[in-house]
Order: sequence, then structure tokens, then C-alpha cells
Amino acid sequence: MDGPMRVLVTGGSGLVGRAIERVVKEGERREGEEWIFLSSKDANLVSAEETRSVFQKHRPTHVIHLAAMVGGLYRNMRQNLDFWRDNVHINDNVLYMSQEFGVVKVVSCLSTCVFPDKTTYPIDETMMHNGAPHESNYGYAYAKRMIDVHNRACFQQYGLRYTAVIPTNIFGPHDNYNIEDCHVMPGLVHKTYLAKKEGKPLEVWGSGRALRQFIYSVDLARLFVWVLREYDEVEPIIASVGEEDELTIKDAVDAVVEGFGFKGEVIYDTSKSDGQIKKTASNAKLRKYLPDFKFTPFKAAVKETCDWLAANYDIIRK
Amino acid sequence: MRVLVTGGSGLVGRAIERVVKEGEGREGEEWIFLSSKDANLMSAEETRSVFQKHRPTHVIHLAAMVGGLFRNMRQNLDFWRNNVFINDNVLQTAHEFGVVKVVSCLSTCIFPDKTTYPIDETMIHNGPPHESNFGYAYAKRMIDVHNRACCQQYGRRYTAVIPTNVFGPHDNFNIEDGHVLPGLIHKTYMAKKEGKALQVWGSGRPLRQFIYSLDLARLFLWVLRDYDEVEPIILSVGEEDELSIKDAVNAVVEGMEFKGDVIYDTSKADGQFKKTASNAKLRKYLPDFKFTPFKAAMKETCDWFEANYDIARK
Repeated sequence: MDGPMRVLVTGGSGLVGRAIERVVKEGERREGEEWIFLSSKDANLVSAEETRSVFQKHRPTHVIHLAAMVGGLYRNMRQNLDFWRDNVHINDNVLYMSQEFGVVKVVSCLSTCVFPDKTTYPIDETMMHNGAPHESNYGYAYAKRMIDVHNRACFQQYGLRYTAVIPTNIFGPHDNYNIEDCHVMPGLVHKTYLAKKEGKPLEVWGSGRALRQFIYSVDLARLFVWVLREYDEVEPIIASVGEEDELTIKDAVDAVVEGFGFKGEVIYDTSKSDGQIKKTASNAKLRKYLPDFKFTPFKAAVKETCDWLAANYDIIRK
Repeated sequence: MRVLVTGGSGLVGRAIERVVKEGEGREGEEWIFLSSKDANLMSAEETRSVFQKHRPTHVIHLAAMVGGLFRNMRQNLDFWRNNVFINDNVLQTAHEFGVVKVVSCLSTCIFPDKTTYPIDETMIHNGPPHESNFGYAYAKRMIDVHNRACCQQYGRRYTAVIPTNVFGPHDNFNIEDGHVLPGLIHKTYMAKKEGKALQVWGSGRPLRQFIYSLDLARLFLWVLRDYDEVEPIILSVGEEDELSIKDAVNAVVEGMEFKGDVIYDTSKADGQFKKTASNAKLRKYLPDFKFTPFKAAMKETCDWFEANYDIARK
């Protein structure tokens, strides 16, 4: 295509969308480029007509597709049908309209949580469809996997190089901090803030033994921009810190406690589910392309997130 | 029961219509056979209208975008999208209209390509399907995902059957697009009529289990009435009755009384080499079910095709 990109970012008001907005503003944007950040207020992407309208309005050349129905472990376990259906509709609408409107490239967002439950470790990009996902969120997992199926079929039938990124556990400012629904890091950050404020113990769900690789949203945002500009494969790419940086939930708890300077008791409620015990992902493919990419050190990133929540508590999503 | 059969004008739909008419229907039951003329099930509104019109208590969901090996290889995106829409519309609308039970139709061709044999019902999602029809395969697999999620969230007991290779009257006999047996029947008919050789695509070596549409129809009715699991059930002759494509060619040649040459074009793809499925679960429920012998079923199908050549879908 000729001329600068016009990039539509769906889910633009979310955790990753806000991070992309920030890195674009702080230097990643190039001359003449236009970046449009959509939220659910602009269009309900579950509806084909509303998706069409928003594509007609903006006529993007590129799309970063982040919008999804997401939730933490507990909400997924209760509503697998809704997670399956709504996400399939959102994804089909965005990918299909992109094709109709001649979008050159779409970068969608998957997750390591969609990988097979029974697997060898570390997991890599070739393994996504090698078995059934974890029982707790199979609706969401299959919907995300089908983005990759759609991309491959679209490439086979039309030659379009739409692709996807597979982050591990993301955290940062502008997350969903609702304690019932959210993911592990924002949940810890919010609960520690409240525990400190109310002078109560911090109650952590699960045993603390589950292992995760965490990626700071601002680092992921830089990688999304790189994928949009430079990554040419249809096969997705894992965006994560290396296996050597895998942490336990307890490590994460300790970092959040330190980030807030929390002095109270920490209690682990082992009656609550741990979810998957490990999901170790290989970032070898990323390192092959970007051997020198520097991730923000975990404790510093957690501190930034805690400071942001404390400064913005009134407006956070909760 | 008021039973809505989507894809009612197809191979399996017509077989169900016939067995219902010939004795399997029960007192007070109503059976409605839909075709694409009645509704385009890729449209949510048209699906809703047809459910509003008929208000079924039960659904046998056979409608799909289907094709043979070569069409699938060219149009994986269309096969994926169109079937996802059809399936989501039928299953979601059924749920909204309080349909008690939906029996959908999967296929052994959607199972993992790299697998041990025989395949069974627990293995559907254990790995990627064959590259040749992954769009269709994933769309069908997602019926099972939808059924399980719908049971988990709403307690519905929608289920599915998994036939092996189906054949019989009222099939799609289009040589480009049809499946292996109807393709062979049509080509043998033409070869016989034109006094030419019969050209078979592929080596003839791949192995398949074939199920006659009338047998499948009787089993569909049993599943609708008596099978209570959400997990799907394979409907097939046993592993001991697996045949090569060459065996099938010979049966068609015999059924058509074809006397000319038979040539195997090995430059054409064979598709999956084997897909051996276990019917142990079916046999556990129905140890005495009798399948129509293959040659007899083939003869009936060939006779039907010759008698109905003008109206056959081709």
C-alpha cells in the first residue's frame, strides 16, 4: 500500500490498548500516521452492522484487534457459552470487515491460556491446536484459537497476511481491577491497596504456587507495534519474558506488597482454585527476531502499576 | 415431538424422511423437513423466522456447507465461516426457543490428522485436523464445544452424531464437489453411457468405513429419542468392515454392471489415508443393530441414480 498507515485499534480503552496509545504518543508514531483507539462506546463489535459502520467511518489500512469479552478464572468457569459465542462474533466481524475493506494487516491478540492443557513445556507457537484447552475457560480459549484458524484460512483463500500475538500474563495501568472478574495481577494490586487502606490482612486466592510469566503492558505495546510494522508471518508469535523469568504467584504477591509498602498479614486461601499450575511459554521466536529487546524489570513495572492505581483509584475500572 | 430437520433435502435428511414415513414415525409426532429454500441459515433473522414459524420441540441439525476434498482445499475460509454461522444460528435459536434436544451432525473427517487408531468419541479435539479441510473440520468441532458450553451454562443436553462416510440416494453427485462414492457412481454411469474408461482420482488405496444413509437415519432417530449424553457418538459399521477405495470402486462397477476399463489417476490427492473409527460406544448401546450389507446398499444407490438421473443433484 502507498502512504502512511491509518491504524484502528479495537479494545483501545483496555489494558493493552491504553499502553499502545501511550507508546505511540511517546515516540512510536511515524510521520503522517493516524492511530484511532476504539472502545465499546464507539461500536458493539458483537454486531456485524456496527462493526461495518465503524470500518466505513474510519477506513483503516491496518488493525490491531484487542477487543474481546474477557474475564478472570471464576467468570470463565460459569459462562463458557457466552465467552465462546461473543468472542467468535467479535472476531469474525473484525476479521471479515478488515478483509472487505482491504485492510492490509490485522494483528489480533491471543493468550497462552488458550494452549492445550496437557502438554510438554515450554509451549511454543506450533503447539496451540495440539489438544484440548484447560476445562476452566475452554469457551474463551477456542474462540481465541479460531482467530488463528481464520487467519490461516484467509491466507490460503485470499493471500492476506493477518496474524496474531500471544502474550503471557499482562499487567499494568488501565487494567480491569474488579476483584471478582479480573486477572491475577490487577486483583492482587487492588486487594493490597484496599488491605493497606483498611488496615486488614491481604487475602490471596489459591495456594500461591502457580507459575506465570508476566509481561508489562508497556513492553507488550512496543512489541505489538513492531509486529504490525515488521513481522510478516501468518503463524502467531509469543510475546513474553523468557522462561528464566517465570515467577510464582507468591513472587508476584511479594512484589505488590513491596510496591505498596504493605505491612499487614498475607493469607493464602487454598480453598480457591489455582487455575493452571504452569503455562511456561518459549519466547525463542521473539528472541530470534529481537535478540536485544529489553523488558522493564518486574519490580519496577509492578511499582509503576501500584503507584498508578493509588493515584487513579477513583477512575479505575472496578 | 415436533421435529425440525435442517438440511432436510440432503442425503441424510431424505433418508430420515423416508424411514419416518416407512414406520419409524410415532403417533402424534410432527416432522418438518427444511431445505435452503425455506431459510438461509447463515442469516440469524431467517433462522429465527423459521423457528418462530414451526416452534419445534426437537431439532435434527444436518444443514451445512459441504463439499468434497478438492473444493475444501480451495475455500477453507468459506467453509469455516459459513458453517460457524449456520451452527451458531441453529443452536442459539434452538436454545432461545426452548428446544429440548438438538442432534447435530459431525464427521470422522474432523478428527485429528495425527492420531492413533481406531479413533473414538473422546479424541475429537486432541490435535489439528487434516490440512485439506481444516476450515470445515474446525467449524464442525465447534458444535461439540457449543454443546458442552450450553450444557455447562444452561443445562441443555444438545448432542451430536459422528458418521463415517455416508452414501445413498439423494446425495450430491457432482463430480467436482461430491464425496467419493457419489462421485464414483456418477462417473461410472457416464463412462458406461459414453463407452469410455472409468477414471478414478487417487490411488484407490485409502481406507474408509461406509454407512448407508438409511441405516444412519434409523440411528439418528434412536439418538434423538434415547441417547442422553452430551458427548457425541460415532455412527458407523465396525472396524472389521473398513474398505479400500478400490473395494468401493469394484462394488460400484458391479452395481452399475460396468464392463469397461478402470484407470487410477495417481496424480490426484488421496486425502487422508485412513480414518478408522471405533463403533464400540454404539455397540454398547445397540449390540444387535443390523447394517444393510454394503453391496446391496450400493446396488440400491446405483439403481436409484440410474432411475433418477435427471433430477439427481449434479
